[in-house]
Amino acid sequence: MADSVQFLISGLTIGSIYAIVALGFVTIYSVTKVINLAQGEFVMLGGMIMFSLLKLGIPYLIAFLTTIAIVIMIGWLLERTIVRKAKGADALSLIILTIGAAIFIRGIASMVWGKGSVKVDSFASNEPVYVMGATITPQSIWVMVFMLAIVAGLFLLIEKTMLGKAFRACSVNPVAARLMAVSPKKMSSFSFALSAGLGALAGLVIAPIIFPAYDMGVMLGIKGFSATILGGLGSAPGAVLGGLLLGVIESLGAGFISSGMKDAIAFGFVLMLLLIRPYGLLGEKNVGKGGL
Amino acid sequence: MKRKGIQQMSWKGIAAFTVLILILPFLLSTSLMITKATFAGIYTIVAVGLGLLMGFAGQISLGQAAFYGVGAYSTAILTATFGLSPWLSLLIAIAAPALIAYILGHTMARLHGYYLAMATLAFGIVIHVLLVEWKGFTKGASGFYGIPKIEFFGFTFTQGISYYYLVWAFALLVIVLSLNIIHSRIGRALRSIHDSEVASSSMGVDTGRYKMQVFIISAMFAGIAGWLFAHMSYSISPGSFGLDGSILFLTMVVLGGSTSVWGAVFGALLITAISSFVQALGSKISFITSDFEHVLYGLILMLVVIFLPQGLFPAIAAKLKPLLEYAGRKKKAGNITAVKGDQRA
Repeated sequence: MADSVQFLISGLTIGSIYAIVALGFVTIYSVTKVINLAQGEFVMLGGMIMFSLLKLGIPYLIAFLTTIAIVIMIGWLLERTIVRKAKGADALSLIILTIGAAIFIRGIASMVWGKGSVKVDSFASNEPVYVMGATITPQSIWVMVFMLAIVAGLFLLIEKTMLGKAFRACSVNPVAARLMAVSPKKMSSFSFALSAGLGALAGLVIAPIIFPAYDMGVMLGIKGFSATILGGLGSAPGAVLGGLLLGVIESLGAGFISSGMKDAIAFGFVLMLLLIRPYGLLGEKNVGKGGL
Repeated sequence: MKRKGIQQMSWKGIAAFTVLILILPFLLSTSLMITKATFAGIYTIVAVGLGLLMGFAGQISLGQAAFYGVGAYSTAILTATFGLSPWLSLLIAIAAPALIAYILGHTMARLHGYYLAMATLAFGIVIHVLLVEWKGFTKGASGFYGIPKIEFFGFTFTQGISYYYLVWAFALLVIVLSLNIIHSRIGRALRSIHDSEVASSSMGVDTGRYKMQVFIISAMFAGIAGWLFAHMSYSISPGSFGLDGSILFLTMVVLGGSTSVWGAVFGALLITAISSFVQALGSKISFITSDFEHVLYGLILMLVVIFLPQGLFPAIAAKLKPLLEYAGRKKKAGNITAVKGDQRA
């Protein structure tokens, strides 16, 4: 019993990270119809830049906010310099484009920070809490709190503000949105910036748990993408559900079957689910056409 | 007038390329370069298959290295553990990826676009994890040792010139086969699927069946390449068959251009040359490491998609075509000009 609770909690922790990354995918996808496979690299940059800033002796909170600002700038730049140039390309080319961007960022990161893992301090104390025989580190609780806060914040931003209304308008019909004086180009930049910010946040909250390294973005990006697909491309509740589900399955698989097999179990599950529901859990049927 | 282009394949290109391949080893000075050229042949086989899949069936595969790995490991296990002849295990190294592609193809027939990309990505990772974890058969992450060499009537193919010719013989076979496929009825059907799946299916083309066939063919090619790779090296490890490998193949096809078979060949050769060049440079300048290679690949992928969506080969071919036609007309015009042309060449 204690084992199950333990696995469930660690699954929910990592699942929350997948959910945040998946929300980043959905944010960009809903406006631009681009799947940004460089999303995982934003997470990595979040962790690594934080490490560098802390090493410079900058106070935790300031370093935290600066990291988010820097990663948002990088996301914005990515859209302005690269993605915008390739507008109108087909899904295949866009996937390749963002894979290229991901490899490029990862390569630069390994030249800057080297190949080793780094250590980032936790937000607060490291004293674990015991619940029903399971050990929970405070940082895990922070991760879940952040995930919930991000979901609430995104909901308020998209549903309750004028900016969110413009955002939704672009995602439903860019041409009509332009006629209403909403610039789809600006919204596209905004979606990349917002998504980069989400990635950075994910990286910041997970950094104290997993010892970030230059290549951590690969798996996190792919898992976030899986969560997006699992939930149904374009669906924000689906992304959160998909992320948590993937995290829990992975963690239970690692605990009860084999820790080395956890990725195979997680992706095997994704393949099985796509076989039964080719459009994901909460996706609409027509989205199954590749989401285009 | 003879019908050219789409209807018929040109043997001139094949002949010229074969001559190039035959004389290349004499131009390469070191055994390291011969090894690189051999690798280029192995990569060419995978890239041509992936090119068919991407350029002609309009499908993406982010897990092609997995088929390559299945081919390599099935032959390694059959020959080293069970003592089978490499020539018999070649059949299994082709059949096993084909069977997996068949099963996977049935699952993915309903998937398109991003969902398909995800499914192939997931498949590639599952296979990679299995290669690492299924230690009883694959010996795990440290690698599989003791793969025997290929023998042919008493002659042993060892790493070097002989293996170079063996690999390129297979590569040329694959190229000719692929050219034949795309210039056949299947090829026309595939091109129509690539342009518009809806239109071609309403013209009576069984799109699902053709996509499945080309997916299986691409897996078989990767299996052959895996077989060649396994028997070239004494040992193989799962590291060669992961996501990085799949992305390397993708880069080759994207760079060369997926709309022609020669594009994939060109891409495989070019990427191998770039990689060798960077490595040679890296041994002199400490700043340039293997990471630099990845930065370069990322840059290539982005620039090609933005500026040359068709790939490098069609772009160069379009530039060269007027030149070749010009030369051809001059030849016909008279002997004197033809001689001049020869001198220039």
